[in-house]
Amino acid sequence: MKTIVVIPRCRNFGIIALSIFALFSIALGACQPSPKGPAISIEEAWGRPSPKVAAAGAFYMLIKNTGSEADKLVSAESPACGAVELHESYKTEEGAMGMRPVEGGYIEILPGGQAELKMGGLHIMCIEKLADFEVGAVLPLTLNFEKSGEIIIEIEIREP
Amino acid sequence: MLKNKRWTFIIGLLAGMGMAVVAVVTLPRLQPHTFYGTVLQSPDKAPDFELDTASGTVSLEDFRGKIVLLYFGYTFCPDICPATLAEISKAITSLGKKADEIQLMMISVDPGRDTPEMLRDYVTHFHPSFLGATGTEEEIAQVATMYGIFFEKHEGTEATGYLVDHTATVMVIDQEGHLKLVFPFGAPAQEIADDLAFLLK
Repeated sequence: MKTIVVIPRCRNFGIIALSIFALFSIALGACQPSPKGPAISIEEAWGRPSPKVAAAGAFYMLIKNTGSEADKLVSAESPACGAVELHESYKTEEGAMGMRPVEGGYIEILPGGQAELKMGGLHIMCIEKLADFEVGAVLPLTLNFEKSGEIIIEIEIREP
Repeated sequence: MLKNKRWTFIIGLLAGMGMAVVAVVTLPRLQPHTFYGTVLQSPDKAPDFELDTASGTVSLEDFRGKIVLLYFGYTFCPDICPATLAEISKAITSLGKKADEIQLMMISVDPGRDTPEMLRDYVTHFHPSFLGATGTEEEIAQVATMYGIFFEKHEGTEATGYLVDHTATVMVIDQEGHLKLVFPFGAPAQEIADDLAFLLK
């Protein structure tokens, strides 16, 4: 028995693909503004569902800075919260878990860097919840950056 | 001659495959279960205590025959406690009917602010079977000390009021009342479920 393998003629295809890719890269490079200053974007913003009786909730997200300068998240506010603070969970000297406002009162995002707000680490704490933190709820949150100013995002309440 | 060789080959192949199947099926059963949590081999019973829940006073002894998961936390805790309770909920839910043989109890490290009713509303959000217990400051301090749990208030901001640092491990007390395992903070649901499933066998 002889198996017949059909090989598509793709010698030229490779070259064409490479050329397109090269052209694309050049075009992208030319179009990309080289921003002076920070360029902040927020991804995967979510909040944990929490029982009504819990006075506080936590928001998590990924803050990216694709700009050429560092920026600092200095505060946040939301109509869903009586107060909003930037917090971090940390391990104490005794090996216990503690929570405190972030050092210096800000979260810095270096150029080309990111700040990951996640469970057991940095988080935005919503104190005195004024809305239901039920799965499916969408809560507005205003982030105040030192240089980029106000960025308004939506927090989706969902299971992690 | 050539035919014989071919038969020998086929029989050998079949025997080999048979042995491989047997090995694949039996080997995992022969391997001892490796616990994810830290195993404690205490000959003593886990210290008993009495605390208040929304449905009355409970003692650890009330749950003999069940696996008891002890966790110390507080309702104002928005990050560490919900993360832990959600993982445990996921773990025991994955065990199906066997979940009935497991009782989680969260003991408040903030008896000044947490009432039994608040604790009930808080913990049942994560799983309907969860219990929340509290007591006087002295009672809580005593239970925490018995289980080697550290907790300490520290000043927060005007908005938060004080915050409470606390050991965030989950202790597993087996059906006979022995402290069996300790899960560190961040233990994933799957690992917790595997350990609990083994203890329930």
